[in-house]
Amino acid sequence: MNRREFMQCAAILVSGVGTRQIGFALSREQEVYLATAPDYISGTLDYLTEAQRRIIAAMAETIIPRTDTPGAIDAGVPRFIELMARDWLNDGERRIFEAGLADLQTRIPAEFGKPFDELPPGEQLAVMEQLEDSASDSEWYGFANVQRQFIPDAPFICQVKELTIYGFFTSEVGATQVLRHNPMPMRFDGDYPLGPDDSTWAESGL
Amino acid sequence: MIESTHHDFDAIVVGSGISGGWAAKELTEKGLKVLVLERGGDLQHGSGYLGEHAPAWKLPYHGKKPRELYEEEYPMANRVYAFSEATRHYWLNEKENPYVVDDKEPFMWIRGNKVGGRSLIWGRQTYRWSEMDFRANEKDGHGIPWPLGYDDIAPWYSHVEKFVGINGRAEGLPQLPDSEFQKPMPWMALEKTIESRLKKKAPDVTLTNARTAILTEDLPGRSACHYCGPCHRGCSTGSYFSSQASTLPAARATGNMTLRPDSLVERLEHDPATGRVSAVHVIDTQTRERTRFTSRIVFLCASTVASTQILMNSKSEAYPNGLANRSGVLGHYMMDHTLGISSMGVFLDNMDSYYYGNRPTGLYVPRFRNLDGQDEDADFVRGYGYQTATLRMDWTTGFNKKGFGAGLKDSLRKPGPWIFALAGFTECLPQKSNRMYLSNKVDRFGMPQVAFEMRWSDNEVKLRRDAARHGRRLQRAAGAVFTMETEMEITREEMSLPGEGIHEMGTARMGNDPNEAVLNKWNQAHGIDNLFVTDGSFMTSASCVNPSLTYMAFTARACDYAVRQMGEGLI
Repeated sequence: MNRREFMQCAAILVSGVGTRQIGFALSREQEVYLATAPDYISGTLDYLTEAQRRIIAAMAETIIPRTDTPGAIDAGVPRFIELMARDWLNDGERRIFEAGLADLQTRIPAEFGKPFDELPPGEQLAVMEQLEDSASDSEWYGFANVQRQFIPDAPFICQVKELTIYGFFTSEVGATQVLRHNPMPMRFDGDYPLGPDDSTWAESGL
Repeated sequence: MIESTHHDFDAIVVGSGISGGWAAKELTEKGLKVLVLERGGDLQHGSGYLGEHAPAWKLPYHGKKPRELYEEEYPMANRVYAFSEATRHYWLNEKENPYVVDDKEPFMWIRGNKVGGRSLIWGRQTYRWSEMDFRANEKDGHGIPWPLGYDDIAPWYSHVEKFVGINGRAEGLPQLPDSEFQKPMPWMALEKTIESRLKKKAPDVTLTNARTAILTEDLPGRSACHYCGPCHRGCSTGSYFSSQASTLPAARATGNMTLRPDSLVERLEHDPATGRVSAVHVIDTQTRERTRFTSRIVFLCASTVASTQILMNSKSEAYPNGLANRSGVLGHYMMDHTLGISSMGVFLDNMDSYYYGNRPTGLYVPRFRNLDGQDEDADFVRGYGYQTATLRMDWTTGFNKKGFGAGLKDSLRKPGPWIFALAGFTECLPQKSNRMYLSNKVDRFGMPQVAFEMRWSDNEVKLRRDAARHGRRLQRAAGAVFTMETEMEITREEMSLPGEGIHEMGTARMGNDPNEAVLNKWNQAHGIDNLFVTDGSFMTSASCVNPSLTYMAFTARACDYAVRQMGEGLI
């Protein structure tokens, strides 16, 4: 639902004097509403090489694969990771990210004879599990990490996992097709049935 | 400067937040021509709510906070849950508008930046004070006695509540009188489970709806909540109470209000011949142009620190220590509420029950300590209440787990166990040493920067520890399978920062004795009949409940008094 649709929805809700006071002549200001802004991941990509993009895409898809529902690539997560690594990580974090990517770029072809993204899925998984094992003492896995903004010295594999999971469940595809998106519930029911396969509401993290 | 004898306005109201909005509404509806001065920029109700209903994928960085920018320009505000790229335009830029922050004992001063002030971003919790609160100072000897009691303010609570629209459940508790309620928001199944267990195993406490200024029934011009969730982004249906949605439109409708944004009040001018405030000096924050406005009466509603700053900056021969400060208490007796998670419990009940819609408030446990005299096991005075939050664990609370692939994806997408959190809000005692003052530094407008000296007393530390102990008791009684308390032995240094409750108050307190108080019981300055201060600075003690409703009621009462006095030719 975009903002205009919401306002129409609100207009139906609000009766009489309400509609007049609330005022729907939005026109010019409407252009700057975040609700009608371009998706964040539609930003211009100029940070990674094509080879690096293939590696990041393969990693993201290994973390959250397409199953009977869309996966990381379907949701545009590789674009999210590239934009966030360029614009959001601080200098120290970006160095960790770049070093981790460079390590995969050189080490994997030397060991396996082909780039990471061309390995069979099982071998990609094994490489990432090995990276995760060697990162297991990181604060990233520590108590209450979810309450922190970001762990500044989180290893590369943890950075990619966090950006993938975050980018996926906050993407339009992830929020609407894997989670349940309901921006305008109109009521609150505190005893709503939950089936064994039902997903979380996408809005719960806002 | 040529002295103007023409009264441009009947009244000038400084500030357009919770208190200023009420002053504007009440004074204009009583027929006064009112000038409202707001330091922040203009904002239109509805169309100014730029982050409203934006899904995460539209937000910069999908909503992750740009940390370096925030640390540089909003080092205090960015600690508040409501601060994000979807709300940043509501908050004052701290780099451009600095105050003096003590590195060792910082004070967290949170400021709004738009017409509507902090009423746009407040937590919307609305609780009446009780007679116990108004008698606390005289009973235990901290601070000075309040010059009035519950019966004096109760009709004014009713007056504002009917207009604000508060959803809640009547309980008939003497320590937390009921408001004029709209129907309460529904409870979650787990909350009903917890309530039934507490009734049997902890009958000394009451679990009730958090009393919240969010509509569950339409009011004129405002519609019932649509449960989208993040109120602090702004609400174009006016479902939560803000000046923007409620009081300012009412004032505007009278035709008697002139609202002037970008207007920083530098000082008030006092005429020693008449003993009255004779003018308000304003700096236009955009053009730096200086203007002098006059009126018969002035209401300071700029928020506690800003109103006190204005008074302190209004020195004259008659008032060398700041306007209305013959008592010497101006700036002293600063209070705030301490807050924190007292106890978190994990619950596995009602796992097949979920919720539909995002209820933008929780439940509340009213004060239960030191009610009828001093509890025998309490080594502190006064008490605390708990605000609660009930949530299902989900991907946001569990992303840092091991593993990859379909199993990880599936475990992240589904709701996990229930969490029930008890967040204690504790009362703060009035102490003279807790204060704000004007430093030698000036800001970009030449105004002296505010500095603070505030530290929690032992009583506040003991209250937090007690809130953790009883939090654990209640969680166990409620059937938690696991609880966590981090505040059982908390120290002062580990507590929330002074100011972090964003309930700063008390720096121009009211009292009957002009030697001990800045204001009389009508929020009128002792010795300056046409000056009223009705934001949190008038508070003589703090109670443990959220204060905004009390500011509203006192503001409306003071407006009524001021207009009656004007009618009788007394001011």
